[in-house]
Amino acid sequence: MNENDVMLGALNLGNINELFKDIPSDLTVNMDLGTPLTEMELINRINKIKNKNNRNNLFFLGNGIYDRFIPNLVNEIISRNEFLTSYTPYQPEISQGILFSLFEYQSIISDLTEMDITNSSMYDGFTSLAEAVRMAFRINGKNEILIPENIYRSKLDIIKNYSYGLSLKFISYNFGDNGKIDLEDLKNKINDNTCAIIAEEPNSYGIIDENVFKLNEIKRSSILITYYDPVSLGILKPPGEYGSDIAVAEGQQLGINMNFGGPLLGLFSFKKEYVHKSPGRLIGMGNDLNGKKAFVMTLQAREQHIRRAKAMSNICSNQALLGIAALSYLSILGSNGLRKIALITMNKSKKLKNELNKRNVKTVFDSINFSDNLFYFDNKELLRKNNISGGIKLSELSDINKYRNTSFFSVTEKTDDNDIIELSKIIGD
Amino acid sequence: MYRQAYYNEDFLIDYNTNNDYYLDDVEGDYPDYIKREKLKLPDVRSVDVSRHFTRLSEMNYSVDLGMYPLGSCTMKFNPKYSDYIASIEEFNKHPLEGEENIQGNLEIMYNLQEYLKTISGMAYSSLQPSAGAHGEFTGILIIRKYFEMKNELDRRNEIIIPDSAHGTNPASASMGGFAVIEIPSDGSGLVDIDALKAAVSDHTAAFMITNPNTLGIFDDKIKEISEIIHNNGSLLYYDGANLNAVLGITTPGKMGFDIVHFNLHKTFATPHGGGGPGAGPIAVKSFLKEFLPVPIISREDGQYKLDYCLKNTVGKISSYYGSFSVLLRAYSYILKNGNNLKNSTEKAVLNANYMANELSKYYKIPYKKLKKHEFVLSTENTGKRALDISKFILDYGIHSPTTYFPLIVKEAIMLEPTESVTKKDIDYYISVMVKALSTDSDIIKRSPVNTSVTRIDEIKVARDLILTWNKNEKTLNKI
Repeated sequence: MNENDVMLGALNLGNINELFKDIPSDLTVNMDLGTPLTEMELINRINKIKNKNNRNNLFFLGNGIYDRFIPNLVNEIISRNEFLTSYTPYQPEISQGILFSLFEYQSIISDLTEMDITNSSMYDGFTSLAEAVRMAFRINGKNEILIPENIYRSKLDIIKNYSYGLSLKFISYNFGDNGKIDLEDLKNKINDNTCAIIAEEPNSYGIIDENVFKLNEIKRSSILITYYDPVSLGILKPPGEYGSDIAVAEGQQLGINMNFGGPLLGLFSFKKEYVHKSPGRLIGMGNDLNGKKAFVMTLQAREQHIRRAKAMSNICSNQALLGIAALSYLSILGSNGLRKIALITMNKSKKLKNELNKRNVKTVFDSINFSDNLFYFDNKELLRKNNISGGIKLSELSDINKYRNTSFFSVTEKTDDNDIIELSKIIGD
Repeated sequence: MYRQAYYNEDFLIDYNTNNDYYLDDVEGDYPDYIKREKLKLPDVRSVDVSRHFTRLSEMNYSVDLGMYPLGSCTMKFNPKYSDYIASIEEFNKHPLEGEENIQGNLEIMYNLQEYLKTISGMAYSSLQPSAGAHGEFTGILIIRKYFEMKNELDRRNEIIIPDSAHGTNPASASMGGFAVIEIPSDGSGLVDIDALKAAVSDHTAAFMITNPNTLGIFDDKIKEISEIIHNNGSLLYYDGANLNAVLGITTPGKMGFDIVHFNLHKTFATPHGGGGPGAGPIAVKSFLKEFLPVPIISREDGQYKLDYCLKNTVGKISSYYGSFSVLLRAYSYILKNGNNLKNSTEKAVLNANYMANELSKYYKIPYKKLKKHEFVLSTENTGKRALDISKFILDYGIHSPTTYFPLIVKEAIMLEPTESVTKKDIDYYISVMVKALSTDSDIIKRSPVNTSVTRIDEIKVARDLILTWNKNEKTLNKI
């Protein structure tokens, strides 16, 4: 006898439809979701769709998502079913593997940024920035947010969407002709109502801006929110060293595939005095009844399942598994490995700028860049004709009313020197 | 007897086994003023990284190990074909690639939008939200924008939510700038119509509910609720966390809802990864299309495109287009199972009702007898606490249910077996829950003992607040 019939029998039911008799008949539907497929048929169907994608030979895309090399061990670790198919660790005794790993993730990002505390992940970089603004408002209750004039449109869009009900005012501060923060302008805009200053390092032009390191001296009582590039911290000053109160980033570069832009990893760190105002899950260390080292989700009273309408954030599911990817990536590379990847990236940017300048595609700024480089170039058609991925226009990303005829070309350690030369031949004179 | 592995594992930072990941030497000439003073990442051989995580993984319970009946979490089997498909390199595209290079990805997303429309009985869908709560928040933004365009936002500043709702509902509403009005449930655990009528006013923007609710009970007055809300010019929001109960049987659209979010990591079998990533697409009735986040995926002359042309869009809510590799897994699941998905719903509901019926012989199960995909029992009259029973269960190699939720049931235990378990699994689970009742209270309060660690002093953890491996946390305060 079929087990379903046995179970129906135990319920004194004749057929399965009786389990749905509480649904009024005028609400029931007949939907067609198609004939079931065998696994083989499914894979064939998917392969047909996958073949509709193309890959260009020359690849220079970046601006937030980067094609970096991922050690195979990273994927091996996050493919383990014990991690992959587990839920949020609500029962800590039986979930120490995830909790231990996420505690290490919090630790390694705190060390990388030299910030006190890192939560156990947010959705992505942009929503992390938006949550940072909300957190700054919870800390000081002030209402003016100073934003870089060249900030990406979608970042600002998300910040604004996340700040309904807080009545915040967004005031943009200027950049000089060198592509760096105009410190005088920013200073003039900081006052007693300033809630937070958002600073980017490298900035939206791809430039490493040493003026960001000076903001702590002029920020007065406002909250300094830094949006950084985690791989750049292999060599650059970390947000904690220059006085950031909250530091956020997109963590995709740390061992996570581009995935067409998702799922990503929001890195979210802050000074420890602000912990009770922070969003997201935190894993704490303690002991079990036998004195063994043990981990558990802590300060949950900040979160939605306890605090409900008064929670710090509505976030529930986060990006835990990808946090473990980032932890694995950084542990495999180590300090020296990350420093090398950062240096190769900067060297490739230098090489790209040299080669394009030689062929009269001029850089917009005389600067040190990390991955993204801005050039006076505006010919999408030429790129398309030559199957080049890259050349995102500044105007596609930012509303800034300058440099409208400029485009980005980005590099990582995977960028081949020959490809750089090939690009310069195609788009140069 | 179940015995979970335990390793007295060191932190990676304390290994010091000399990193052996080979990279070529590289030099670069950059000014010192941009460089950091020091960087201390773990110094560890790759083999130790591998062993570290293998050991930790053995200290972690998962769906692939056994029954995981967390209520409202829908911990069903995550099919492995989805993992394979999500790993196909051709889909691993940069989000700013030209449309001519990403037709395959866009086709997947377009087809998933279509499936979700059919499944929810809605007219349009957006795949952008990153998780269920993020989908709720997007729905709230749409509600805002809708009333803003009607010049009613000034007065419509409240969202009504039943007291049995998931915590994310009030949190999302409040993040969107609305005041939350909570209404009590009636004697059968459903929406109290009189309380709803009393709460509805000029200020009401929307009513947010899930159906079946968190007690696993289908609210058959949903049409009446829909009328009350719509006659007031307000909107009706469907929390899709419980969609696994009705998929293929009825739709939120048919029930009268205007906006719905889906939890792909629940209903559509994508793995939950120890807390995420998930995906929380939304779908809306046609009059709300112009408010959806951009881009949505459109098709014109057989070509797919990222469509930004929505007049009153709420704009962006994620960095790019949503959790693509999660969407890809969910799409594969729907494409593979097609019309068999209805059978999964039926099995999930059968499993829950069988389990509830058997357990009702030992535990009090409040409210209406007929359940959908999940149910809530109370340990109130058993002399045992829900907490203790949930810990006792772990010793038998099975995961505990959700406890102390929903808030309207005292000493609540919330069970959702899903369609992935068999009668044999359920009978074993029941036997453990029955055994708990006759087990000496002293023993039960000391459980679990077969897990990697025993109970943890959580109050001490919150007081000491050790959140990193840094032994001297004070040094971190140096600026």
